[in-house]
Amino acid sequence: MIFVLVLATTALALGQSVQITGIVTSKDDGMTVPGVSVIVKGTTIGALTDANGKYTVLAPQGANTLVFSFIGMKKLEVDIQGRTKIDVVLESELVGLDEVVVTAVGISRERRELGYNVQSVSSDVIADRPNADLVNSLSGRASGIQVISSAGDAGAATYLTIRGAHSITGNNQPLFVVNGMPIISGSEDTGVDGVTTSSRSIDLNPEDIESISVLKGGAATALYGVRAANGALIITTKSGRNLVNRKVEFTSSVGFDELSQVPKMQNLYAQGMDGVWIGGNAASFGPKIADLEYDGDATYKWDPRGKLVPKGTGNGTPAVAYDPYEFFQTGVTYNNNLSVSNGNNLGTYYLSVSNLEQKGIIPNNHFGRTTFRLNATSRLSDKVNVGADFAYTNSQARQIQKGSNVSGIMLGLVRTARTFDNSAGYRFPDGKQRNYRNGGGYDNPYWVANMISYDEFINRITGTANLNVAFTSFLDLSWTAGVDWYNRRYSDKFAIDSKAWPAGYYDEEMNDAGVVNSDILLNFHKDLGDSFNLKVTVGNNIFSSFGKYLYGDAKGLQIADFYQLSNSSTNTVSHGTSKYRTAAFYGDLGLAYKNLLYLGLTGRNDWSTTMPKANLSAFYPSVSLGFVFTELGGLKDNNILSYGKLRASAARTANIAGPYNTSNYYYAAGSADGWTTGVTFPYMGQSGFQLGSGLGNPDLKHETMDSWEVGLELRFFKNRLNLDASYFDNLNKDLLMSVPIAASTGFTSIYLNAAKMESKGIELSLDATPVVSKNFNWNIVINFTKINNKVLQLAPGVDNLFLGGFVEPQVRAVAGQSYGSVFGMDWMRDENGNILINDDPTDSYRDGYPWSDAREYRNIGNTSPDWLMNITNTFSFRGISLSFLVDIKKGGVMYNGTGFAMNYFGTSLATAKREVYYTPEGTIDFALTPAENITVFDGVYGHVDADGNPVSSGVKNVTPVVLDQAWFRGHGSNFGGGPTAAAMIPAGWVRLRDISLSYDIPVKNTFMKYLQIYVTGKNLLLFTPYDGIDPETNLQGAVNGQGMDYFNNPGTKTYMAGLRVNF
Amino acid sequence: MKKNLNNKIKTVGVTLAFILSLSSCEKWIDTSLNTNPDSPADVPMNLLLPAIQQDLGYIMCGNDPVLTTGTWMQQFDGVDRQMYTEARYQLLPGDVNNFWSAFYPSILMNSKVLAEKAESQASPYYAGAAKVIIATTLGIATDLFGDMPFSDAFKGTQNVLKPKFDSQEKIYDTLFTILDGAIADLSSATNAIALSGDVIYGNSAAKWMKAAYSIKARHLLQLSEVNGNAAYTDALAAAANGFSSNADDYMVPWNSDNHNPIFQFMEQRGDIRMGGTLIDMMQASSDPRLPFYAYKDGNGNYTGSPAGSGDDLASKPGVYVAGATSPSVLMTYAELKFIEAEAHFRLGHTVDAQAAFEAGVAASVLKVTGAANTAWLDAHINGVTATLELIMAQKYIATFGNNQAFADYRRTGLPVVPVAEGAVIPAMPVRFPYAQEEITYNGANVPSVTISTKIWWDR
Repeated sequence: MIFVLVLATTALALGQSVQITGIVTSKDDGMTVPGVSVIVKGTTIGALTDANGKYTVLAPQGANTLVFSFIGMKKLEVDIQGRTKIDVVLESELVGLDEVVVTAVGISRERRELGYNVQSVSSDVIADRPNADLVNSLSGRASGIQVISSAGDAGAATYLTIRGAHSITGNNQPLFVVNGMPIISGSEDTGVDGVTTSSRSIDLNPEDIESISVLKGGAATALYGVRAANGALIITTKSGRNLVNRKVEFTSSVGFDELSQVPKMQNLYAQGMDGVWIGGNAASFGPKIADLEYDGDATYKWDPRGKLVPKGTGNGTPAVAYDPYEFFQTGVTYNNNLSVSNGNNLGTYYLSVSNLEQKGIIPNNHFGRTTFRLNATSRLSDKVNVGADFAYTNSQARQIQKGSNVSGIMLGLVRTARTFDNSAGYRFPDGKQRNYRNGGGYDNPYWVANMISYDEFINRITGTANLNVAFTSFLDLSWTAGVDWYNRRYSDKFAIDSKAWPAGYYDEEMNDAGVVNSDILLNFHKDLGDSFNLKVTVGNNIFSSFGKYLYGDAKGLQIADFYQLSNSSTNTVSHGTSKYRTAAFYGDLGLAYKNLLYLGLTGRNDWSTTMPKANLSAFYPSVSLGFVFTELGGLKDNNILSYGKLRASAARTANIAGPYNTSNYYYAAGSADGWTTGVTFPYMGQSGFQLGSGLGNPDLKHETMDSWEVGLELRFFKNRLNLDASYFDNLNKDLLMSVPIAASTGFTSIYLNAAKMESKGIELSLDATPVVSKNFNWNIVINFTKINNKVLQLAPGVDNLFLGGFVEPQVRAVAGQSYGSVFGMDWMRDENGNILINDDPTDSYRDGYPWSDAREYRNIGNTSPDWLMNITNTFSFRGISLSFLVDIKKGGVMYNGTGFAMNYFGTSLATAKREVYYTPEGTIDFALTPAENITVFDGVYGHVDADGNPVSSGVKNVTPVVLDQAWFRGHGSNFGGGPTAAAMIPAGWVRLRDISLSYDIPVKNTFMKYLQIYVTGKNLLLFTPYDGIDPETNLQGAVNGQGMDYFNNPGTKTYMAGLRVNF
Repeated sequence: MKKNLNNKIKTVGVTLAFILSLSSCEKWIDTSLNTNPDSPADVPMNLLLPAIQQDLGYIMCGNDPVLTTGTWMQQFDGVDRQMYTEARYQLLPGDVNNFWSAFYPSILMNSKVLAEKAESQASPYYAGAAKVIIATTLGIATDLFGDMPFSDAFKGTQNVLKPKFDSQEKIYDTLFTILDGAIADLSSATNAIALSGDVIYGNSAAKWMKAAYSIKARHLLQLSEVNGNAAYTDALAAAANGFSSNADDYMVPWNSDNHNPIFQFMEQRGDIRMGGTLIDMMQASSDPRLPFYAYKDGNGNYTGSPAGSGDDLASKPGVYVAGATSPSVLMTYAELKFIEAEAHFRLGHTVDAQAAFEAGVAASVLKVTGAANTAWLDAHINGVTATLELIMAQKYIATFGNNQAFADYRRTGLPVVPVAEGAVIPAMPVRFPYAQEEITYNGANVPSVTISTKIWWDR
């Protein structure tokens, strides 16, 4: 009833209006400008200019001002003064000083008001990129952020950090806020085996995104309190705002993924050992492939061509080296999106539907996503707006096994001898598996892709409602409340005779997770006299998070290939809950003095149910100051330095413990030894419980981050050259974490406020426009980030913490060292750091070779980069635009465990130069041995004494040796006992992250308003010293222990073509 | 009308905000939410006991203590990857992490909790069983590691995060004290809560008592190089109250739902073959246990891989140690008989030694094969004069599948086994290194050792 009345009132108002027309031209070239928004100020009434720059707008009686705005041009307000024809000229503006950015809890501020760094990423670099997960598209688009994807698999997780690591073992990923609603975005540690799973940020449709504000430092996020210790991405979706006519947009693209870099393999030697072909042998130290042929033995079931025998003794069919990488296929992605949006003075809406279907480069790897979104607002009166956002996502994925796992795709693929053709069948008629180990060892990759699967289904709904009430011109209230909920259901299937589950395996898991959030803000803003402006916000937040999983498995299938939990006598079931709530009050005060000085103060008090009763509450303040020094007398209206601002801020933010960490519990028992899948309960008809090995702690307190930041913004030559520099220092104290402790305490970990870490960094952004002309523009954006993360202190008695990896190597946090140091075995060295080369003819180890120092694990490298730089060049010529992003990562090492293990199996390229002949005296026969096979290790002669300590001669090694089977079965590989240090490979890169060419096709008819076609490429060029797969991957997915490559699934390069049409 | 509406909305909005804000903290921050609804804060003893026993079998008879020491003793051979490295005498601190980090919390800590619960609930039979399990575990572990944390261990809840190590001598004293306590508990006339959930002895306090005496005999004999003849007399005294038949054997069962650890290793890793030394020894006497100890190789023969040779065509471990549902054997009646045989022999009781030796072999053959095999015993064992070499050789065969052979070898040097091919150190290791995690998190207290550093009783 009330609503109808409002409509009637508004309709009445519309009746009495004046028609105003005009033409908009550009000051730069005098050309008319189509698509300019013309709005009657104070209303939502407006129009867009047509192809000739003409507009017609019906202004209500009494309207005073028209507002003309267009992206890339300065906003212009013109008084109507009774005119009915108003022509205007717009000036171009390369980067909007008056740009409004969304800051914490949805508070809008003009960029010039901010005392801290906020970077915005616009829709054009998100929508047209071949990334299902929009986080991937952020890579290189802002300083201070780092994006790592776990693998090239369709649907793979991404790891995003802002200003480096803030937590040592906890979550380091930022908060995602969509239209005021904090959503679930993270992913889980996938471990060193299993499958790569998605990050929940993949549930967002990139086409729906209007812009993303990247809130980096403490002052920017302080209002989120315990929620945004790691920075925040404030995402605004598209809406019907500022539209005059209905907009129907359709986009469609097709992309092709291809295998990126892979480890190089030798193609000279056959399966076997000691130069002898042995069918089923794990290694490739057999004879030369060129010297072998098949015997045609039809009874040899492992190879349809028979066994391999020396040339001349078989059937004449020569042995060949098969290409294992033919296993991979071209991935194909189809992405379609349709949206309808509009807005008027009654309200706005944006409705979209999208569908993405991605077939990965690994056979049967698949990711599919369908999304719906409806954002609507309704103006109930001049002063009251209500709105609702609704988003639904459905996704399905099939993921394939990876990593340190007898079923890992790459593990089976690159350990397989070149003389064995995995593709010639993976399953015998009796259901048994065909693989290069004659049924033992590892799964045939084709078996893995076809007989083992991980299927995941997600249904996700995010719904928010919002209310805005403008009580007076200076006081308004906004309230956003919503629910983000998803159901994730997945199942694992292992066919009978899979190596990890010889009797077959099946599990089903159901995950139900969600958050409820409400933010009420009361905003006050008023000019105080001529010089001061005051903005005050007070607010309340309540938040609840809940999660529940239900799990059941069937070990040992009775009926083959039938996946039903009841198809087994051995079932385990379990379920778990995670639930907590927080509440907060907060305030934000902004005081501006003219356009010169901006002071910001915030404070927030949080309460959380996860903290012990004595420490439920904590308070976090921040202060920031912006000083636009170009407003000072002498500098004002300067043609060279158009704008300059200094900013400084200090803040304290926080993080809370996860639920249930304040006490100890018993858990369903089970046993495993690290070698096998182990045993569980029920067992012998009993159920069993054991005391959890992790100790809770009733004395926890909040962890805090004290940060400060200074920055400088400079804009030269009327914004043709813009520079933004920040320096920050974050001190994280009382970091909450589960600290590993000596097992002899009876426990293996304790939850503690355990560490102190500092990150300091420099962020530089440069935006330059060297060429601006009527037809041609050239723009360069450079982002540079250098962050030093140092672990200052760990809890008393804790010297280091495990972040990820294996028993060896491990990524660790160590007091006094950089975050992400890798620990493992090194070569035996003398006190000067020279590698010792054995010179003791009496020991059992060959002279002329180095060996590992098994006495202790040392810091053998750091996975964190020295710095990151991204350079984006954009050229536009008439409607054609070419943009490319070059991504440079300097420094950081990665563990090439894949290559090091391949050495042991004799499949890596490094093992190709193995041919060696010896004289009767036992020295290398240089006449027979190929010269290129001779190696002299870099080091000095030495050996160990009776106590195992190094004895160095100090004399440089000159002994020639050959890297033969004995070397690679020994210290030249991991399984042979070689040092991990030999597998730590520099993993910096220069890559063409993406390149995009688009053409706005001029359209004349009125039906189609806009047509753009584009082609995009991703990762087309990669230059890296890393000799394994694309180093931008991580074994354990999106977790803190980065830099591990142990049979990771490889990365991809992508080509995509698409079109965008507006009707 | 419009003004009216705005006033209403204003009133409603402000009121709502106010109410929500005020009411939020008290009720919303409900601290009882921080109690995990899915995990109990306490459990009854009959649910703790089988959990401990499962770990006892899977960890203490599992792949680390048995496959590694069995490989060094050439009962097995490691033919690929990590096991190949171990076969050539490289065992790093990181390699024993899983083992060390499993038995301390899962077995020892939980048994300690169980024993304390039992004592507070006047149920000495539970306490006795828990103590026998502690002693069994501690015994196996100290024979591999020497000095270990014990008196200062298990105090994580009291914030003792870096326990001091007890000398092995003290550990042995503790071990005997615990066993005497167990014997006292198990002899108790009163017991409030009856044993239940016991998968090892079917809730029989009497059998646990025999196990207590037998484990005591095992470790009393272990001190032969320390205590001389007293070790033998003490061992004999304890053995007198120990196992009296194969029916008393101390074993952890497995079934179709929960498979034997060595079976799982062979199924999922497979890098172990039979050792050449054990196979050759058994082939020489056509030992009837061979088809149970080993599977035939691809050519239909029983073959072993010579130590360190990595011969993956050799026979795989057979059903006795690696059958899917074969029990994990902690200690047998046969082993007790060999303890008696050695003790009698050393004390010069040749008749008793001979009897115990013959009984030991007979018990083992019956246990492994399910048949008495009297003819074979008569041909190869009975009446053959028991020398120390013979006793130890037969004990080596009979204890296949647990780590006693490695303990006996260090004590007696028998049976003599050659150094493995490609060995990276000159002689067989004489201990395990300490676990990397103990070194990492309790470094100051961990003795500095290599795998060639002898433990206390190894003289």
